[in-house]
Amino acid sequence: MRLLIVEDDLEACQAMIKVMAEAGHQCDCAPDGIAGLTAASAERFDVLIVDRMLPRMDGVSMVERLRKEGDQTPVLFLSALGEINDRVTGLKAGGDDYLVKPYAFAELIARVEALARRRETGSVQTVLRVGDLEMDLIGREVRRGGREIDLQPREFQLLEYLMRNAGQSVTRTMLLEKVWEYHFDPQTNVIDVHISRLRSKIDKGFERPMLLTVRGAGYRLEA
Amino acid sequence: MRLPRIFRTTPFRLTLVFLALFAGAASAFLAYIYLATAGEVTRRADARVSREMGSLEAVYRQSGANGLNQAIIERGSADQSFLYLLMDKTGAPISGTIGRSPVAHFDGDRDWASFDLAIRQAGGTTASRPARGLEERLAGGELIFVGADVGEAESYVVRILRAVWGAGALVIVLGLAGGVAVSRDVNRSISGLTGVIDAVRRGDMGARARVRGARDEYDDLALGLNDMLERLERSIGGLRHAGDAIAHDLRSPLTRLRARLEAAMIEAEAGRADPKAALRHALEDADGVLRTFTAVLAIARLEAAGDAPGQVLFDPGILARDMAELYQPLCEDKNLDFEAEISSGLRVRGNAEFIAQALANILDNAVKYTPAGGAVVLRVRRRASGDIEIAVTDTGPGVPPADRARVVERFVRLDSSRNEPGAGLGLSLVAAVARAHRGHLELDEGPGEVDGSGPGLRVALVLRGS
Repeated sequence: MRLLIVEDDLEACQAMIKVMAEAGHQCDCAPDGIAGLTAASAERFDVLIVDRMLPRMDGVSMVERLRKEGDQTPVLFLSALGEINDRVTGLKAGGDDYLVKPYAFAELIARVEALARRRETGSVQTVLRVGDLEMDLIGREVRRGGREIDLQPREFQLLEYLMRNAGQSVTRTMLLEKVWEYHFDPQTNVIDVHISRLRSKIDKGFERPMLLTVRGAGYRLEA
Repeated sequence: MRLPRIFRTTPFRLTLVFLALFAGAASAFLAYIYLATAGEVTRRADARVSREMGSLEAVYRQSGANGLNQAIIERGSADQSFLYLLMDKTGAPISGTIGRSPVAHFDGDRDWASFDLAIRQAGGTTASRPARGLEERLAGGELIFVGADVGEAESYVVRILRAVWGAGALVIVLGLAGGVAVSRDVNRSISGLTGVIDAVRRGDMGARARVRGARDEYDDLALGLNDMLERLERSIGGLRHAGDAIAHDLRSPLTRLRARLEAAMIEAEAGRADPKAALRHALEDADGVLRTFTAVLAIARLEAAGDAPGQVLFDPGILARDMAELYQPLCEDKNLDFEAEISSGLRVRGNAEFIAQALANILDNAVKYTPAGGAVVLRVRRRASGDIEIAVTDTGPGVPPADRARVVERFVRLDSSRNEPGAGLGLSLVAAVARAHRGHLELDEGPGEVDGSGPGLRVALVLRGS
């Protein structure tokens, strides 16, 4: 993947480039909003990682300009501002996701990959397939290897999110945000409990487990 | 030259503007009246003179110049209201009450004249009065002049005009005095407010405007100013407090992190420990510091904000049902009996995200501190007072009454909970959320001792119903 990082903190930028290279992604860096806008318009990137507070032109204005020009590249906002209103303005300006500083790199990578993936599967799907797992979004039915699996509504949403991001790590925070729509860090392992319930439903009785735990990151649904 | 302050005030300027408008309108009105009346006075005098002239011509036609002469002498001595003069063809006077015609250059047959009449007064002085007259050439070539004194009528008009001008002057004087009085009053009211603003500018955040109790717009202004200052003072105080608190709160975990890193380095250099494990520990510690920082910042910002931002009307029952669904599996996993009793159709005004986070913190605590086999009950209902109560009751060890006020403070962890994870910020955040919604947090005993556990804890977030 090719990523553009628009961030004025050079050290943070270099650390990001290193970690992203480790994960197999190539990064370009722009130190301010104007440079970011120029770079984003000139070349094609899979995801833009944009800091909200930038010299010369702030991140929100930069993304607004980009969207006005018709550029639909997914944008992940990074920000030290974590209040609800800050997040809402960021998303309204055309951002696709919002990550509050400080963050773990595992979280950043998982979110960037999820954004890039969402772009690839642009068409509307009615059936999701991962390996022998099949989800009928209209009939609200899930089968694995032909055997029907009975899920609660929330479990269905959880599995749908995992299937849409199959093969990639998703973090607990991402699940809490995208499935439950909560934006806080629980002190307990609430998400793990839900995952283990889902796991017992889709993996029980099958030789190969699909729902894997990724150490230090979260979970991954593997075909 | 600078005008005195009072003359530069807005009310005084307005008074001047209105006075000028009033005086302008009144002058135009008076001018019209004067023109109309004065014209009428002249017209009437002319009509009287014409009538008299007609009657004298009739006498002339009947009895000739001699008869006319006779009549003029008679009328001149009897009737004081007209002036007469009979002249021969050359204009030399024959008889009459005046010696010389006021018509300077007579030509033709008729000529009107306006002139001033000198009248000898009692004291020997002469007064000048306006008069109108008509001169005609008679059929025999003689000239006759008839005049009338219009002074009486005209002086009446002048008197009225003078009275009106006097009244106008009085109005202007009174208006100016009123303007000064009103300006003084406004000035006093405003100077109280500007005094407060100056005091605040000098740094006295405690200054407040006096409310006179008149319930007028100045009182409204004073009340608004006071309320604004109150909020400003509170949020500045909150920010200052938050800054101190963050500095204080982060110093200890950072010190701990640093100590651990240093110890790890010494051990790694001595070859006694695995640097990778030390790094992992340090990372975990850093995450802990960041979590603490986030929580402290959230609390501080909520406290500084006064009222929670982004408040909307919503049903707290729906929020609680979602949260119950999130936490039920966790309780079951820990072998806790979980129950939710949630009324429907409740309404509350607030920031749903903050309230969800507060409830999550309360539930986290309940799950953490309640031993297996216990129970957690989530209850959301409307109280008789109309307040909305979001309460979580557990059967854990509870909090002794003496410690209940203390556990809400930041970083306070009871000794009994030292070995549980957490920074001791959960209930502080709940309390901050309650305050930011003008509600409060209640801590009570739970159901009491049951099977050796208990007495339990009931934590209630009480919000004002809408």
